[in-house]
Amino acid sequence: MRITCPHCGARDAQEFSYLGAADPKRPEGMAASEAAMATYVYQRDNPAGVHRELWYHGAGCHAWLVVSRDTRTHAITAVEPAKARKAGATA
Amino acid sequence: MAETATTSTAVSWTQHGAWADIAQAGQLGAAGPAGVTAILQGGFGLATLIATPGGAPALSGLVESRTGITLPATPTIVSGASHDAIWSGPEQWLLRAATHDGFAELLEALSVQAAVSEQSDARAAVRLSGPQIRDALAKGVMLDLHPAAFAVGDTALTSIAHIGVHLWRLTDEPDGSVFEIMVARSMVGSFWSWFAASAAEFGCQVSIDRSTGRG
Repeated sequence: MRITCPHCGARDAQEFSYLGAADPKRPEGMAASEAAMATYVYQRDNPAGVHRELWYHGAGCHAWLVVSRDTRTHAITAVEPAKARKAGATA
Repeated sequence: MAETATTSTAVSWTQHGAWADIAQAGQLGAAGPAGVTAILQGGFGLATLIATPGGAPALSGLVESRTGITLPATPTIVSGASHDAIWSGPEQWLLRAATHDGFAELLEALSVQAAVSEQSDARAAVRLSGPQIRDALAKGVMLDLHPAAFAVGDTALTSIAHIGVHLWRLTDEPDGSVFEIMVARSMVGSFWSWFAASAAEFGCQVSIDRSTGRG
């Protein structure tokens, strides 16, 4: 499998580390209930289809990426810097 | 008294190049005309520059006013008369100076616009050329280094034999393409082990350039 890093171009998957689902958001601060934290930490979808996930380009530019990958075919439809998404979320 | 102190310092602190005790000048592997040429680099000044958020244009302007080169926004190397700016990630660069002259002062001046970290003794560099250099590199580099895919001035961060490397292509010389590879100094032994084994079948002429970082 190859991932097209928006900074470096197409690279072998072994240059990257996988973290997991990109979309779960940590509940706010210390006020979060135990149940909300448990959901955030443990509950994950397991889709047969497009999955948005975090990959780290550790052997390249050291950027975190959000990769949209079809779990059935490994076809990658989008790769964006996680930094851009974070900036968008706060705006 | 003072002289005694100076002498003992000189004995215990001798300069030790990144390639010392690891690679020697001479012919490596197959005899006959060398298919690969390696020039071990030393003596250069090196630092990482990381721009403050949104500060890349200002940093580039400052670097240009001091060295005459701009910072590339894409994975390329920009070379000037005495300095190189090498892309090393989004809004990050390596700045290399041919010599240490004035380098500390330059870094001090740049530190108002960037996180600057002096790395002169932290990396080892080798300049590679020869008619079969691509065949040798293909044994470890996962990238397509064909001239159509990897042009003069292109740079890449990748790995060779699980060792993180920074590589780029310099201006062609009469005998063909020229690449330069930079590795963390602590990994030089492992890197050279891979390189020596990979280049051996083509015959590799190894020489040492301690005069400047530019070969």
